[in-house]
Amino acid sequence: MIVCVAVVGHQNNPLYIQSFTEADDALKLHHIVHCSLDVVDERVNNPKKSGPTLNETFLGLLYPTENYKVYGYLTNTKVKFILVTTDLDVRDVDVRNFFRRFHAAYVDAVSNPFHVPGKKITSRTFAERVSNIVKSFGLSST
Amino acid sequence: MEEYPEELRTPPVTLISLVGCPELHALISSHLHSEQPPINTLALPDFSKISVIFSDKSSDGKAASASDPSSPTPGILKRDWLLKHRTKVPAVLAALFNSEQISGDPAQWIQVCTDLENLRNVIRPKNIKLVVVVVVPATFFASSNDDLISEDRMAALRKRAELDAKHIVFFNSGDELQLKESLNKLGSTFAELATTYYREEGRRIKTRVEKKNFSSIELNIRNCFKVAVHAEFRRDWVEALRFYEDAYHLLRQMVSTSTRLPVIQRLVEIKIVAEQLHFKISTLLLHGGKIADAIAWFRKHNASYRNLVGPPGVVFMHWEWMSRQFLVFAELLETSSKAIQSISGPASNTAEKLTEWEFQPAYYYQLAANYLKEKRNALELAQQSEEAAGGIDGSAESVAPSVYVGQFSRLLEQENVLAMQPLTDEEYTRYSIAEGKRFQDSFEIIALLKKSHESFSGIKAKRMGSLCAFQMAKEYYTVADFTNAKQLLDDVASLYRSEGWVTLLWEALGYVRECARRAGMVKEFVEYSLEMAALPVSSDTSVQSFDSKDCGPAGPPSLAQRENIHKEVFSLVSGEVGSVSIGDNLDLQTACNGPLHLEIDLVSPLRVVLLASVAFHEQIIKPGVPALITVSLLSQLPMNVDIDQLELQFNQSECNFIIMNSQRPASTDGRQGRRVERAPSLSLVTHKWLRLTYEVQSELSGKLECIYVVAKMRSLLTICCRAESPASMDDLPLWRFEDRVQTFPTKDPALAFSGQKAAQVEEADPQVDLVLGATGPALVEECFLVPVTVTSKGHSVFSGELKVNLVDVKGGGLFSPREVEPLSSDSSHHVQLLGVSSTDTEDDPQVASSKIMKIQQSFGLVSVPFLKDGESWSCKLEIKWNRPKPIMLFVSLGYFPDVNELSSQKVHVHKSLQIEGKTGIVISHQFMLPFHQYPLLLSKQSPSLPMNEASVLVVSTKNCSEVPLELQSMSIDMDDDHERLYTLQHGGGGAEDMLGISHLMPGAEFRKVFTIVPEVESSSLVLGSVALRWRRKSETQEACVLTKYKLPDVNIELPPLVVRQECPPYAILGDPFAYVLRIKNQTKLLQEVKFSLGDAQSFVLAGSHTDSTFILPKSEHVVSYKIVPLCSGMQQLPRVTVTSVRYSAAFQPSVAASTVFVFPSKPHFQIAAAADAENKELEPVATE
Repeated sequence: MIVCVAVVGHQNNPLYIQSFTEADDALKLHHIVHCSLDVVDERVNNPKKSGPTLNETFLGLLYPTENYKVYGYLTNTKVKFILVTTDLDVRDVDVRNFFRRFHAAYVDAVSNPFHVPGKKITSRTFAERVSNIVKSFGLSST
Repeated sequence: MEEYPEELRTPPVTLISLVGCPELHALISSHLHSEQPPINTLALPDFSKISVIFSDKSSDGKAASASDPSSPTPGILKRDWLLKHRTKVPAVLAALFNSEQISGDPAQWIQVCTDLENLRNVIRPKNIKLVVVVVVPATFFASSNDDLISEDRMAALRKRAELDAKHIVFFNSGDELQLKESLNKLGSTFAELATTYYREEGRRIKTRVEKKNFSSIELNIRNCFKVAVHAEFRRDWVEALRFYEDAYHLLRQMVSTSTRLPVIQRLVEIKIVAEQLHFKISTLLLHGGKIADAIAWFRKHNASYRNLVGPPGVVFMHWEWMSRQFLVFAELLETSSKAIQSISGPASNTAEKLTEWEFQPAYYYQLAANYLKEKRNALELAQQSEEAAGGIDGSAESVAPSVYVGQFSRLLEQENVLAMQPLTDEEYTRYSIAEGKRFQDSFEIIALLKKSHESFSGIKAKRMGSLCAFQMAKEYYTVADFTNAKQLLDDVASLYRSEGWVTLLWEALGYVRECARRAGMVKEFVEYSLEMAALPVSSDTSVQSFDSKDCGPAGPPSLAQRENIHKEVFSLVSGEVGSVSIGDNLDLQTACNGPLHLEIDLVSPLRVVLLASVAFHEQIIKPGVPALITVSLLSQLPMNVDIDQLELQFNQSECNFIIMNSQRPASTDGRQGRRVERAPSLSLVTHKWLRLTYEVQSELSGKLECIYVVAKMRSLLTICCRAESPASMDDLPLWRFEDRVQTFPTKDPALAFSGQKAAQVEEADPQVDLVLGATGPALVEECFLVPVTVTSKGHSVFSGELKVNLVDVKGGGLFSPREVEPLSSDSSHHVQLLGVSSTDTEDDPQVASSKIMKIQQSFGLVSVPFLKDGESWSCKLEIKWNRPKPIMLFVSLGYFPDVNELSSQKVHVHKSLQIEGKTGIVISHQFMLPFHQYPLLLSKQSPSLPMNEASVLVVSTKNCSEVPLELQSMSIDMDDDHERLYTLQHGGGGAEDMLGISHLMPGAEFRKVFTIVPEVESSSLVLGSVALRWRRKSETQEACVLTKYKLPDVNIELPPLVVRQECPPYAILGDPFAYVLRIKNQTKLLQEVKFSLGDAQSFVLAGSHTDSTFILPKSEHVVSYKIVPLCSGMQQLPRVTVTSVRYSAAFQPSVAASTVFVFPSKPHFQIAAAADAENKELEPVATE
């Protein structure tokens, strides 16, 4: 189950962060998302280590915490998407698929003429769409 | 890792035992220890000790083997088994005998045999290998050891010891070489036998494992462990690893099957054994450089045990165990990564799922800390329930670790005999809780986090690092170490602040605020509180659910919470005692009695609390004229804030003023002499600019800048806010990411983009006219006068100073005073300021005497006398141009309008004027020969003049300027050091050089003809220079300008021949006339001359066409032709050519000179004919 998704701007500031848990641990998830930016930085600055994925937007598993897995995605405008899930057995295909749909939703949201680039995303439509994507995570491929 | 026993932490080392010949033990053992791989030595001084050391072991071993195989095995691993094999059970026993003992008398030999027998009895059940070492005396120098002991004895010895020959070693310490050889031999024999021993032992147990010849799974695990240890002894890491892993897997299966012990203790035992096995496996993997494998293994280990939490009462034990796993692995990883520099990256195949952090010990340290925290929480719960259940009895004290790893039992002391009694789970739990109390987990957690923090900071993972720091700070907070906590939290908060993570910042600030509160730091408390209240915490709290417990002391981030904080801090600063829910800390309340002063600068996080923007409406303001200034204040505090008074502070302190809130009672302290304005309301509404526009007036010229805006709120709080210009104002750091309407600090958006907090105050307007009265261009050489007039129109002029500067328009040579070098000649200055002449000096001699003048080539400083209102003063600048050049003349007048120079400001008037410098007069000259006279000049040098012959010099002057000029005189003057060596005649009669006054209009030309008769022969005769006196034509009689023009030096020579051509000025058709050539020989030589005459159509002539003749020295030859013209008009005379043979020079008159006008009939002009004869000699060339 996805517990948190986040959009992080290119100054590493949160643009959108939403948790989907009942357990009231949103703050912990914020910390996890924030710390995962270190790995994103590391991957972006040392692309050699991450192997052949030079122009790959999908950054893969960023770091495993005890109970969560954190995945990352970097758009060409240096906006980062972070996904935190509690599923310990996640298929890469599902995550890639999720990020692709999430990216599309993000692009639609920032294409809104009333959205100011670099500001937080407050669109309700975007939030709804994200929650749909989150709900359907892992279902489409099964 | 340190809490593990030594034998577990280090790889096992082969153990051998030495017995007999104690004097050699030290030598041998140190040698063996330095072997590669090292061998440890158990040295026994003599044979009697053998049985003592081995006896209890053997009995113990018997007891173990004698135990009923059907009864359940009481434990998995024995605690001291490993230690025993490392320190007490040797692989090889070496019996050292002196050679005398063997070869000596029968009594000695029998002793040897007895010893050997005893030894063999002792070691046989354990399969320990035996080596007999025969020590050869140092004095023995034999080529072969065979000579020492007889063959029979050796054979007997072999038989007695049941040994091969190679296991009887001779030890010869005779000399160094032999000693070394012997030691090496011993070493290799021991190593070989030890390997054999461990292999056999291992194989023996392995067959047991393979045949499944055991009664319980515990024994199976134990055997696997033993096989692995034996494999380790002989450095077979692969096998060791395999069997450790087997043991580990078997153990994991036991979790669900075993029923041997009570539940809690069973789990504890399994976990501790698993921990040891895991430790061994990890160590082996890491030492083999397989870091990725080790990490993967750890992950598996972690995954398979993480959920084995156990019964609720003892959860803390599980967390402690987990924490230890992470800590140990972190330490292992740290030590091994130090040894292996190049960590294989996550690129390897097995590690495709491994991430960067998993290679960092810091990651494990952090998790170890987290689990330890879990442990602490669980332990606290357990303790509480324990206390509720009825306290802890003293029985826990006698609990001790039992024989088996991971088991505990009660130690009963009965009649000096220690007995172990199994524990019940309740007893064990009590014991563990009591044990757990002894540790201070917080410090442990802080130490772990500190390690992690440093390590993460080292690899530039600042966010992970700051998370660790945050957790550390929380620990410090729980143990009430507020100084450390605050220090850490400040750093953490600054990271969150810079990256705009508001929720995290909220949490951090919540902690640090509480730290400040508890530590009684009022100022900090207010600052943190204000910052928190102004944070852009999302107002829609419904979206995010925050657990209030997790959020720290500040509670969940929400608008309501912000408002609470706001209220709290403002009631604190307003000094309303009792209304603040400070809680139990009264220090803060009492400490808050004094006034509180906060400063907000451009980088302060408190900018969100109060942002002051100040804009002058005009960039340039006049002194003494009121200018508008707008002060805009913005606050993000959640509730309205009323400001009591606002003070604006400028760099010119007399401009400072205070804005009072008229709704508040005015207090009049400390503002004597200040301007006070009143505003109807000074209420700051959230995210709305409070704009105030006032007038400000400055008397001083220069920069006027608003520096601070000081807001006084309530009775105690003063916020001093650095003023910012709207044009260069940064966004509020945290609010800039918020999606909200952009607002401007001023109503006028243009001012919001361009407004500045500083303005330039101009000088007072000068009320003095400065007029530069020059007209037209200046002429080169003349002394050009520029009249300067200072006229006072309202201001009196005190201490006036006139600065004059000449500047090249093109910027080529700046005539600044700096460039005036003493060595440079006048020629470097094309334009010079000669002087200043005052016209008023006669009127007021006193003023004139006091005036200071400083004149340099291009710079002048003139003092202006005191002028009353309406008076004027003027002077004239004298400027001379040496070259034609345009220049810029800058004149600036500085003066004080007031007699008191200190109180008033200097006023400046600047004027500039571009003046062209032009050449007024151009002089040229031309040399000519007399009419129809041609001297033969031999030299090629030009100009050359014939000696003693009259030559004509024409000097012409042209007026190039645009103004009419007057010429005074023109003459040819000799320079001082030259003598005139020629006769000079002026054309137009003998009047010396005075022309009278001749007017020369612009563009007109004036010529004067001189006749020069050189008197000496010279290659360079100095002619002197033309001196022309002229001036502008004007009413005022200006001084004449003398322009000199240097005539070139000429070459004077005596011509050998002079040809003179004579022909009438005109001819009449059909009327014959004479055409004569006179050739004069001036030499003392006979000259041969040839001449020829060409035909001409228009004339008929008489005379020889060609001829040659000789001319006598100093005589003249005349060639004469009679010519009759046949046509009228301008006609070309027949061309005559004269050739001097001696000089190879030919002469032919030019076409112009041999042209004559033929009238058709005789004209009637008698006067002309008369004049014609007269002017033959000196005809003006100009008419030609």
